[in-house]
Amino acid sequence: MNEVAEMTAPVAEPASGRNAPACDAAVTRKEPKVLVCDGNEAAAWGVVLSRPDMVAVYPITPQSSLAEYVAQFVADGVLDAELVEAEGEHSVLSVLHGAALAGARTYTASCGQGLAFMFEPYFRTPNLRLPIVMSIVNRDGITPQCVWGGQQDAMTVREVGWVQLFCETVQEVLDTIVMAYRIAEDRSVMLPVNVNHDGNYLSNGIVRIELPDQAEVDDFLGTPDVNWHAALDPDRPMGVDPLTGGATGPGPALFVGYRRGHCEGMQNALRVIVEVHEEWARRFGRRYAPLVEEYRLDGADHALVTIGSMAGAAKDAVDAARERGERVGLIRIKTLRPFPVDAMVAALDKVQAVGVVDRAVSYGWNSGPVHQETLAALQYCRHRIPCLSLIGGLAGADLTQAHFERAIAETAKLFDGPCPRTPVWLNAEDR
Amino acid sequence: MSATPTIAFDATRCDGCGECMSACASAKSTDGSSAQSRIRIVRDEESGSWGIAQCRQCGDPRCASVCPAAALAKGDDGIVAWDAERCVNCLICTAGCTFGGIAFSPAEGHVVKCDQCSDQHAGAPQCVSACARGALRYVTAANVYNRWGELEDLFVPGLGGCQGCNTELIMRHTLRRVGPNTVLATPPGCIPGMGSVGYNGMLGCKVPVFHPLLTNTASMLTGIRRQHKRKGRNVTALALAGDGGAGDVGFQSLSGAAERGEQILFVCVDNEGYMNTGAQRSGSTTYGAWTATTPIGDSARGKAQDAKNLPLLMMWHGCEYVATASTAFMEDFYAKLEAALEASERGFAYLHLYSPCTSGWRFPSASNIEVARTAVETNFAVLWEYRREQGLTLSRDIDDPLPVTDYLKLLGKFRHLDAAQIAHIERHVAEQAQVLRELAAMQPCEGRQVVGRQSDLMAVDLDQ
Amino acid sequence: MEQFDYVVLGASHAGLEALRAIRAHDADGSIAVLDREARLPVSPTVLPYVVSGKCAEDRIALRERSWFDAQRVDYRQQAAAAALDAARSRLRLADGREIGYGKLLLATGAAPALPPIEGLSDVRFHVLRTLADALALRDAANEVASEAGRSAGRAVVLGAGLVGMHAAENLVRAGARVTIVEMRGQVLPGYFDATAAARIEAVFRDKGVEVLTGRRVKQVARRGEDCTVLLDGGDAREAELLLVAAGVRPEVSYLSGSGVAVERGIVVDEFMRTAAANVWAAGDVVQTPSFFGDGTPAGGILPDAVEQGRTAGMSMAGDPALRPYPGGVSLNTYGFFGRRALSVGRDAPAQAGPEWDVLVRDGEGAEGYLKLVLREGRLQGIFGVDVLFDPGIMWELILRRVEIDARRQALLENPQDTARALMSGLWR
Repeated sequence: MNEVAEMTAPVAEPASGRNAPACDAAVTRKEPKVLVCDGNEAAAWGVVLSRPDMVAVYPITPQSSLAEYVAQFVADGVLDAELVEAEGEHSVLSVLHGAALAGARTYTASCGQGLAFMFEPYFRTPNLRLPIVMSIVNRDGITPQCVWGGQQDAMTVREVGWVQLFCETVQEVLDTIVMAYRIAEDRSVMLPVNVNHDGNYLSNGIVRIELPDQAEVDDFLGTPDVNWHAALDPDRPMGVDPLTGGATGPGPALFVGYRRGHCEGMQNALRVIVEVHEEWARRFGRRYAPLVEEYRLDGADHALVTIGSMAGAAKDAVDAARERGERVGLIRIKTLRPFPVDAMVAALDKVQAVGVVDRAVSYGWNSGPVHQETLAALQYCRHRIPCLSLIGGLAGADLTQAHFERAIAETAKLFDGPCPRTPVWLNAEDR
Repeated sequence: MSATPTIAFDATRCDGCGECMSACASAKSTDGSSAQSRIRIVRDEESGSWGIAQCRQCGDPRCASVCPAAALAKGDDGIVAWDAERCVNCLICTAGCTFGGIAFSPAEGHVVKCDQCSDQHAGAPQCVSACARGALRYVTAANVYNRWGELEDLFVPGLGGCQGCNTELIMRHTLRRVGPNTVLATPPGCIPGMGSVGYNGMLGCKVPVFHPLLTNTASMLTGIRRQHKRKGRNVTALALAGDGGAGDVGFQSLSGAAERGEQILFVCVDNEGYMNTGAQRSGSTTYGAWTATTPIGDSARGKAQDAKNLPLLMMWHGCEYVATASTAFMEDFYAKLEAALEASERGFAYLHLYSPCTSGWRFPSASNIEVARTAVETNFAVLWEYRREQGLTLSRDIDDPLPVTDYLKLLGKFRHLDAAQIAHIERHVAEQAQVLRELAAMQPCEGRQVVGRQSDLMAVDLDQ
Repeated sequence: MEQFDYVVLGASHAGLEALRAIRAHDADGSIAVLDREARLPVSPTVLPYVVSGKCAEDRIALRERSWFDAQRVDYRQQAAAAALDAARSRLRLADGREIGYGKLLLATGAAPALPPIEGLSDVRFHVLRTLADALALRDAANEVASEAGRSAGRAVVLGAGLVGMHAAENLVRAGARVTIVEMRGQVLPGYFDATAAARIEAVFRDKGVEVLTGRRVKQVARRGEDCTVLLDGGDAREAELLLVAAGVRPEVSYLSGSGVAVERGIVVDEFMRTAAANVWAAGDVVQTPSFFGDGTPAGGILPDAVEQGRTAGMSMAGDPALRPYPGGVSLNTYGFFGRRALSVGRDAPAQAGPEWDVLVRDGEGAEGYLKLVLREGRLQGIFGVDVLFDPGIMWELILRRVEIDARRQALLENPQDTARALMSGLWR
């Protein structure tokens, strides 16, 4: 593995600025270790801190270095976990199913085609209510062949029933992986969590991060509580996942019971995600908007809607526009599933037009998936406001400040005329 | 009522040499004459074959039922014992026995019968020892059955298999031996179809059991086994999977787990197709067989390809243990299950059971065991086992098989075969037997590696 | 009122075999066995050996009490049935108590039949059916024998069936002078053909037994402790010991008004069901149909009683392996003065058609006598004196109607090995 510069430094002052999360000054903390590393290594450190019993991985670009970091941590004894180098993503998640049903806290990471191959057990994971945490190092889908970032993978599986969180920064990747276990294992939730970090941008972007103290994380997470509801354990013999359903007998009601329980778990997750982020801020001093981040919406009449790491450049563009006197803000979705309707509506109610920037395509609607989600949330808003779809950053394409300035401009046009039914393809003219 | 050892007679191996009678007489008679032998080999001139008259040590001995003096009784050792002091010489026992197993001895003045030499040579009947041609065998399978019978039955009675299906036998007997400290995976197919994981909350067995996906049985068991082991618990990870879930769509996970040496006992119940869903073709379906997706028509005559030899593929993974078995040879199956279970403590153990399907193969439901036996006796299914240390060994002689057609004619799925197809099958069966014969001949010896074993030198080189 | 799932009346061969068959299929049902005797069950067949002294009376029990306990069977002695109310599934015992049953087996056996001979009720005579009978006869035989030391005591045996012949041999061995009176034309009628019977009779005559066949007793008259037996020819025998062995009659006195049909015995179907619901019968109490469907004697034979008991028990317990009772086949193994006579099946009828074949081997000494009876190439009967074969195999060959035409000569020459070879190839 790479030798990583590891420094221990006092935190001089609460991190400030746009990309550094707000810090609760009142909290006294141990001085954190500081690392300079990329998002994949940060994710691996998040895994180390969460102390899973079992990790199963299969390498895939741009996730591969994450798998290598975890393997090395296990080899070095930094992480005391069973490491299963399964022969493919399908088995990776299947191994974790078995392990979780035997009581293990588990972790894996994949993306793109790996996620596609994993789909059969992936589909089943939340239905089994297994609190597995899985990073998706977001990658666009083939074909055309590509190995670069894009969110088509995660967006495609958003109806399967996992909790899906999208990170903006490398630090947030680490922090969110740890928080994800608390969310997943909460007895009112019991659902798997995807922690998404954009391939290339976050996976390979090197920054300075803080590493929380292990003992404090241990205290935060508690002991794994994974298979109290469904176990494969001779001490508690039971049949897991018997045939259910059909048109007669107890089947229909049983099946509905499972589905409804799953939906309730998802709704409970909205509350738990907020609580866990709150506690994280209290304990570790870093505060993230748990569901929907509102950036400079005060006094804004239009806003961009973003998801994932693109918010960095987008916020730069918003800042620049504000300096020019444009009344623009930004809404960043962190939690896509369960969809935070109330938080989204509250944000949308503050503006009169939005432009939604997607890094994925919703083919059937000729727009982006987050655009579709936003349209659905608008149903609950006070006013029907125009909502433009913009699609960019596919297959590793850059989304620069300039792209977002154009996005802002296109959004502002909504005040002057009808909202186009076709998306704005932000990288269409790039060379 | 428990079963007990018997002396089995194979008429086809007997040449009437009479050594058994001489051995019996010298062990039993008062005057050394073979007339007093308790075993009698007799020739039927009409059929030209040899027959036997000897006590079968019946489980429910009629000689004892009819004895008016309570002089005959089946003992706990399984021997129907004769009490000289009680016997009144009425000979009614000879009317009760339909096997000529107890008869009046003029020289001794009373009835005599075989006691399997339990007095002086317990466990080694002298007639069997004397039989050079293997026509007499001392079958102790009953001991195994008795032991099995005492083990806890971990399946509910009355699972919903097709009439005549042997899968319930496999499930019940496997779980009895493997025991309650087990997690059982039954991927979609006949086995969960019979109700092992249950339906709408009703459960079919007493061990933790689950439906894996059709594709991921070995992977899920990997996680289960490793996690329990991590917590210091030795839980058996057992799969009872069909051939599709093992060798077709499930093969990747099976191969991966075998390659990693996961400590799993994987039992493949091979009924040569997707029988639970209406008898469609699988990679294990044999050449020429009718299935719902290899139908018979103007341009199609059943499956056009040979089956893949899944157990051999597993052997080449270098598993800890690989074996093939048949429900027609339960003693052999028990021994292999025992070995596989033990091997699964160290690494991957794979047991392949040839399992005829009454409904999908089109044969009468009463004939399942006969079909299974004939498959083995014709070399259509060869019984063998592979151990890492010993390589491959054949479980029974394959040099003198019955004609393959004896097997083919039992099954409706082969009814349409033409001469060329039969010739293809005969050739393939002979080739497979030859491959196994040659593998079995590769005896491990010093300085040579065993079949399927990885070279130690490689590992040394890497370390350097 | 006590209630049992199964009640078995009688604890001899049929009852005990039924019990075994019930327990083999129904491990849990409650079972009561009611025996009218006051001791552990004893087979009537063993009684001649008690008389001879070959058997000690305390070592002949068919089952010990512990066996019943192990089978979880409520076994009761001195429990005789007085009346059966089949409509209400109740049995009244001689002591007045009632027992309810789910299923009932009548296996009460038979009692000695007494011929209508004038004066019989006025004299002291013996029968041989129970252990008490056997002990009394044994003592009497010893008495006659010791008297014989002074003045050759005579014993008269009425009936030359197996009981009579066994007893006669015992009495001769004890030292008595013995006369056998048999109203039919041969000894052991119905069991052996005339030639075999003649051979057996000759042996008895050699031993000094007076064998009077084709003779009837007109009258018996008391003469002090002894009696005078007056024969149909006008001559008489003085008897210090009189044994009546003229056959048996089924023990059915408790069945009047029960709805169970009784003819020469209880009438049963092929599963040993009587005319009354939930009531079965087996053994000597039953009117056994002949396997051959003709007038051939059937029943009263120990192996038959066992077969019937098994059939009844399996039927009662609902054992799916149940097969219909094939009908009785006469079958005897008879040892006399150290020699052996065996019979299985039936003889050819007097006016036998061409489909019948009778093969006879009639040598002396070790050669012995053997007779094979075939009909349409299938074994009907085999009778031998001083020739050994396996009666069980012959019985099965008859029941299976095995074609043996090609082996007829081999069977005649070496019936034991030939039948064994055939058996070995036919059944496993």
